[in-house]
Amino acid sequence: MLKSLNFAEFRQKARQAIEQRVRIITAGLSIAELRALLRGEPPTEKPNPRYRVHVTSFLFHIRPKFYMRGSTIFTHTFRLGFFTMFFFVVELMTGLILMIYYTPSPSEAYGSILNLMSNVPYGKLLRDLHRLGAEGMVIFTALHMLRTYLTGSYKKERSFTWLTGVVLLLVTLFLSFSGYLLPWDQLAYWAVTIGTSMADAAPLFGKELNLLLRGAPDIGAGGLLRFYLLHVILLPLLAIWMISIHYYKVAREHGISLPAKFEEDDLPKDVVKEAKRRVDYLPDLFTHELFLTSLGLFVLVVLTAFFYSAPLENIANPQQTPLDTKAPWYFWWLQGMLKLGDKTLMGIILPTLIFGLLFAVPYIDRNPYRQAYKRPIAVALGLLATLAILTLSYMGLPEYGIETPAAARIIQDLAPEEGLGELRAVPFEQLRPGFYQVNVDEPANLCPELDFGCPDLEAVFAEFSERVNRAAEAGQLPDVEAVLVIEEWQADLVKVTPRIVWSDPETGVQKSYERHIFLHRDRDRDE
Amino acid sequence: MRVQLQIFLGTLLLAVTGVILVVVGFTEEERMARFERYQKAQAIEVGAALFEINCRGCHGLRGEGIPGLAPPLNDAYFFTERLNEVGWQGSLEDYIIATVSTGRQVSTRPDRYPGAGTPAMPTWSDRFGGPLRDDQIEAIAAFILNWETTAVNGVELATLPAPAQESDDPVARGQAVFEANGCVGCHTIEGVSSGTVGPNLTKIGETAAERVDGLTAEEYLRESILTPSAYVVEGYDDLMPKNFGDTIPADDLADLLAFLLAQK
Repeated sequence: MLKSLNFAEFRQKARQAIEQRVRIITAGLSIAELRALLRGEPPTEKPNPRYRVHVTSFLFHIRPKFYMRGSTIFTHTFRLGFFTMFFFVVELMTGLILMIYYTPSPSEAYGSILNLMSNVPYGKLLRDLHRLGAEGMVIFTALHMLRTYLTGSYKKERSFTWLTGVVLLLVTLFLSFSGYLLPWDQLAYWAVTIGTSMADAAPLFGKELNLLLRGAPDIGAGGLLRFYLLHVILLPLLAIWMISIHYYKVAREHGISLPAKFEEDDLPKDVVKEAKRRVDYLPDLFTHELFLTSLGLFVLVVLTAFFYSAPLENIANPQQTPLDTKAPWYFWWLQGMLKLGDKTLMGIILPTLIFGLLFAVPYIDRNPYRQAYKRPIAVALGLLATLAILTLSYMGLPEYGIETPAAARIIQDLAPEEGLGELRAVPFEQLRPGFYQVNVDEPANLCPELDFGCPDLEAVFAEFSERVNRAAEAGQLPDVEAVLVIEEWQADLVKVTPRIVWSDPETGVQKSYERHIFLHRDRDRDE
Repeated sequence: MRVQLQIFLGTLLLAVTGVILVVVGFTEEERMARFERYQKAQAIEVGAALFEINCRGCHGLRGEGIPGLAPPLNDAYFFTERLNEVGWQGSLEDYIIATVSTGRQVSTRPDRYPGAGTPAMPTWSDRFGGPLRDDQIEAIAAFILNWETTAVNGVELATLPAPAQESDDPVARGQAVFEANGCVGCHTIEGVSSGTVGPNLTKIGETAAERVDGLTAEEYLRESILTPSAYVVEGYDDLMPKNFGDTIPADDLADLLAFLLAQK
C-alpha cells in the first residue's frame, strides 16, 4: 500500500492535469509559456504557440498576429484609432449601467437624471464618464481621420477602409447627437429641435423626414423614444458592424500603414528591414493595449472625479426658447454655415457634398505617393479644410453675427437663463439687500457691515456699470439709468432685479428691460 | 523589458484609479445629500419665478393675500391651522399641489376670500386643462413651503430702504395701486394685465362716462369700485370684492381713478 504511494509520480500527474486544463482555457498556452509571455521572453516551444491562439480563440482571432515595427511608432499613429475604440467601449459599459436608471418619457426623463444624481452612488461619475467619453470619441475620431489623411494612409488597398471610416465618423456624430436629447433639459431640447428642423429643409422628403425623426410636429414623447432607440440600439449596432469591417481590414488584411519614408525613400536596407520587423501581438501589442487602456481609464476617472461635470440645465420647456441656443460643439461648423445662406443649400446640400467628397477622397486622389512633400496639393487642401471647419465653428457661436438688443445682452451675460454666470456665482452672504444704482453708487465698499465686504458682488456691479456705460457711449442706450435691486424675498431666498431704462435711439420712447432672478442659499455655486 | 514595464505601469495606474474610485465612493453619500439640497433650492428658485408670473395677481406679490379675493399663503395660520380647517389628511405639500393642480370650484371661505368667480381658483395642471406641468407645480409648492420659516419661526426679513422714486404722476401711482390690490387678477388692461373674470378695462377712460346716465366717468368708476354691485356689466356676474372701501386708502383711490381714466 505505502509502496504504491509515490509522491513524485503523484505530483507529476497533478501537474500534468493542471497543465492540460490551463492549455484548454488559454487556447494552447502552457503555464511556462504564460510566464514567458508576461516577462516578455521568447516563446518556450516550437512552433510558436502564441500564433496558435489567434486560430483557437475568437477574441484573439479578430486581433492581428503582428504589426510591422515601423507602423507601431508612436508619432505615426498617436494611438488615435485605439483610443476611439477605447471610448466606444467606455460608452457601451457606462451606457448599459445608465440605462438601468433612465426612463425615456418626457414626464420621467429629467426626473430620472435628477434621481441618478441624488440617489445613485457613483451616479454622477457614471454620467460624467459617459458624457466625457462621448466628447472624447468624437475628438479622437476626427483626429484619427486627419492623421490618416495627412500620412496618406487611405490609398490603394486601404481605400475601402477609409470609406468605412467616414461612415463611422457619421455614426459617431449621430450617436453623440442622439444621446444629447435624452436628459430632456433645455440644452438638449432646443439643440435637437434645431437639428431636426434641418431635416425639414431637405428637398422632396424634408417634411416627412422631420416627422419621422420627431414622431410629431414637435419633439415630444414620440421623438424622445425614437432618439432613445436610435441611441441605444440602432446606432450602436451600426457602429459595431462598421467597426468590425474597419478594424478587421486593419488587423487581418493590410495592417497599419508603414510611415511613408520606409516605402518611398532610399533608406539603408537594414533600416527598412528593421522597420518591417514583426512585432507580435503576444505579448508586445497585447501588453501595450492593456497599458493604454489603464492609462485611458486613469485619465478619464481623474478628469471626471475632480474636474469635469456633465452639463444639466433646467427641464425642457417647449414654451420658452432660450436666448442663446447652441448646437453641440461638433456641429458648430454647420450652424456657422447656416448663417451664410439658405437652409436647404447650407444645411443639407453642402454638408452632403462635403461628406460625399470625404467618401470619395481615395478615389479622387490618384497620386500614388504618400509623403507630404510629394502631394503638396492634397496636404494643402486638407489643412485648408481643417481651417475652414474651425472658422465656420467660430462663426457658429451665438456671439457671432446675432444681434441681441444691448440691454438684454448685458443682463443675459451677467445672469444667463441657463448655466451659472457671474451673478449666480456670487456667494449668498454677499447678496446684501439694496438698490445699487449705476453711476450713483460706486462699485466699492457696498457692504460695510460685512467683515470681509462683498468683493464678488462689487465685481458684478462694476461689470454691470461698465457695460451699461459702454453701451451708452456707443449710442445704443441713450439717457440710460440702470439699477441692480437685491431684495430679501423669503428665508434663504433673495430676488435680484437688474433693470435698464433708456430712450430708444430712433423714436425717443422710454424703454426698459429687466429680469427677475431668484437665488437660494443652497444653490450649488461651484457647478 | 518593455513588456514588463508596461505591465507594471498599467497595474500601477489601475491601482491608483481603484484608489480614486474608493475615495470618491466614501464622499458619495455627502455628494448625493448636497445635490438633493441643491435640487430643492433650485425648485424654490423656479417656483418663485412661476409664482410671480401666475399667482401674485390674486395671492399678492409676496403671498400676503388680497382681502376679498384670495387668502394669504405666508402666514402662520396657513402653516399651522389650515389643514385642520379643511380636514386634509395628507401633508401640507400634498395639499398645496392638489389645490394648485385642480383649482377650486368654490371657495372654502366665501365670506372672506370668495376668489375670482367660478371657479374661485382656476385649475393650473395641464392634466386638467391648466397651463403648468406637474414639475412646475411641485416647484411652486416648494416655494410656498419655504415661507414657513418667516411665518412660524418669527424670522424677520430685512425691508429694503426704498429710494425716493415715488412718482409725481398720479397715473403711474395709480397703476401701482391697480397691481397691488389684485385688480390684475380679473381685469385686462392691455400691456398691464390679462384677467378675464371681469370686464376689459383697456378703454375704460372712454367708455366709463357713457355707462350710466347722469354719472360722470369718475363718479361711475368710484361707485363701481366701492359698491361693485351697483352697476354690473351685462354678461358678467357680481363677483367683485365689496370691501375696497376699507382696504384702499382715499389717496390711493384717487390715484387709481386717475390711472383708470387715462386708459383710452
